[in-house]
Amino acid sequence: MGKAIVITSGKGGVGKTTTTANIGTGLAILGNKVVVVDTDIGLRNLDVVMGLENRIVYDIVDVVEKTCRLRQGLIRDKRYDGLFLLPAAQTKDKTSINPEQMLELINDLKAEFDYIIIDSPAGIEQGFQNSIAGADEAYIVTTPEISAVRDADRVIGLLEAKGLNNPKLIINRIRHDMVKRGDMMNVEDIIDILAVDLIGVIPDDEAIVISTNKGEPVVVEDEPLSAKAFKNICKRIVGEEVELLNLEDNEGKFSKLIKLLFSK
Amino acid sequence: MKEGLVSFRGIKEGIYIYIKKGEFQDIKRELEQKLEESIDFFEGANILGIKAENLLEDEIKELLKIMKDKYRLHISEDGLPQSLEEPEFYTGIDEGMTKFINSTIRSGQIIEYDGNIIIIGDVNPGALIKARGNIIILGTLRGVAHAGIDGNDQAIVAAYNLQPTQLRIANIIGRRPDGEIIASGLPEVAKVYDGEVFIEPYLPRK
Repeated sequence: MGKAIVITSGKGGVGKTTTTANIGTGLAILGNKVVVVDTDIGLRNLDVVMGLENRIVYDIVDVVEKTCRLRQGLIRDKRYDGLFLLPAAQTKDKTSINPEQMLELINDLKAEFDYIIIDSPAGIEQGFQNSIAGADEAYIVTTPEISAVRDADRVIGLLEAKGLNNPKLIINRIRHDMVKRGDMMNVEDIIDILAVDLIGVIPDDEAIVISTNKGEPVVVEDEPLSAKAFKNICKRIVGEEVELLNLEDNEGKFSKLIKLLFSK
Repeated sequence: MKEGLVSFRGIKEGIYIYIKKGEFQDIKRELEQKLEESIDFFEGANILGIKAENLLEDEIKELLKIMKDKYRLHISEDGLPQSLEEPEFYTGIDEGMTKFINSTIRSGQIIEYDGNIIIIGDVNPGALIKARGNIIILGTLRGVAHAGIDGNDQAIVAAYNLQPTQLRIANIIGRRPDGEIIASGLPEVAKVYDGEVFIEPYLPRK
């Protein structure tokens, strides 16, 4: 029996889809059988970020309406055998499916996969309700902005009301230099308000933009700091204890060398 | 014409009619209109009487007569219970019913109680706490707290860390000043003095 994890945030544009793609891919790299599910019906993106857009024939609405079999709706990833995508429908809207259907779908998927990673739409309306219906755990993505943190707080409250207790937090797009200058909320500030467990901090990284545009999750690479951060999250999900990434490494070896020379 | 002068209030003994300050003709018209609209609902109900802010004995008698004769309502012989004579607002400030909440209250959540509220956790921005009595928060208050909602300005709001978006006591509203504020780092209590909300440490010597 697999585990269903919903990636949600309340606010849009904080990186839910990127996080879903990277966690899904990262877990597949670790050898798990994974399906990523896009529940953002009408505004699907996950297929684009994964680079699988051109393979879509059936979608989640076809599957829940039984227009096709579950197997037909799943798209095998081009890089990893154990990774599948269940895309959202683009021409329908959020009311095309309901939470009961979603619960049934996720239960079917749990029988076949180790991890089901559900990409939630922004907002707290029906699309959000659908996305959390079958989830066992919830990961909240936020950025170090007061508006995103506020929405995350609202969503945590809604999740608790639905019985999804102890959601975990992913802080995305943090910039160490700004935090150090006191221009950006730091990890402690955010944890202080939200009072939930942290599962990872992703630095703001150009590599994410590049990889998103290429349709290849950054986690498949070795060098970028964001890739390491996503790999660490995946290891934590499978139960390994990994320390938080030292984001100070960001400034690069060369500038460190210079500092070293001048400090003597 | 003023609206909302007449309201029906249910208590455990039955229903009574509460009438605010206003012109007798307006009150009479509104009462009849309300009875007309929902006469089925009041059929067989035990009407205890009328509590009015400024009506004369005769006027109350006239209204009761209308209800009895025209609408055939049953008016209780006992009259209004003694407890109604007490002040309208909540009086359990020093000792009274209290609700304990054992979690953090988050954006969009509302906690409402006919008494005092104690929260063992934080109250985050966007959350609202409404109590007829005092509000005590064993954590940080960042949202909105409204103590003494039905008008008792003796109610207080106390928190380990008081940084509310807005504080309301009875009908007095205090808001967080714009710009940066210096947190005292001490537990604080908000009270009303001379019609304004003041915040002071409750352990001044620490």
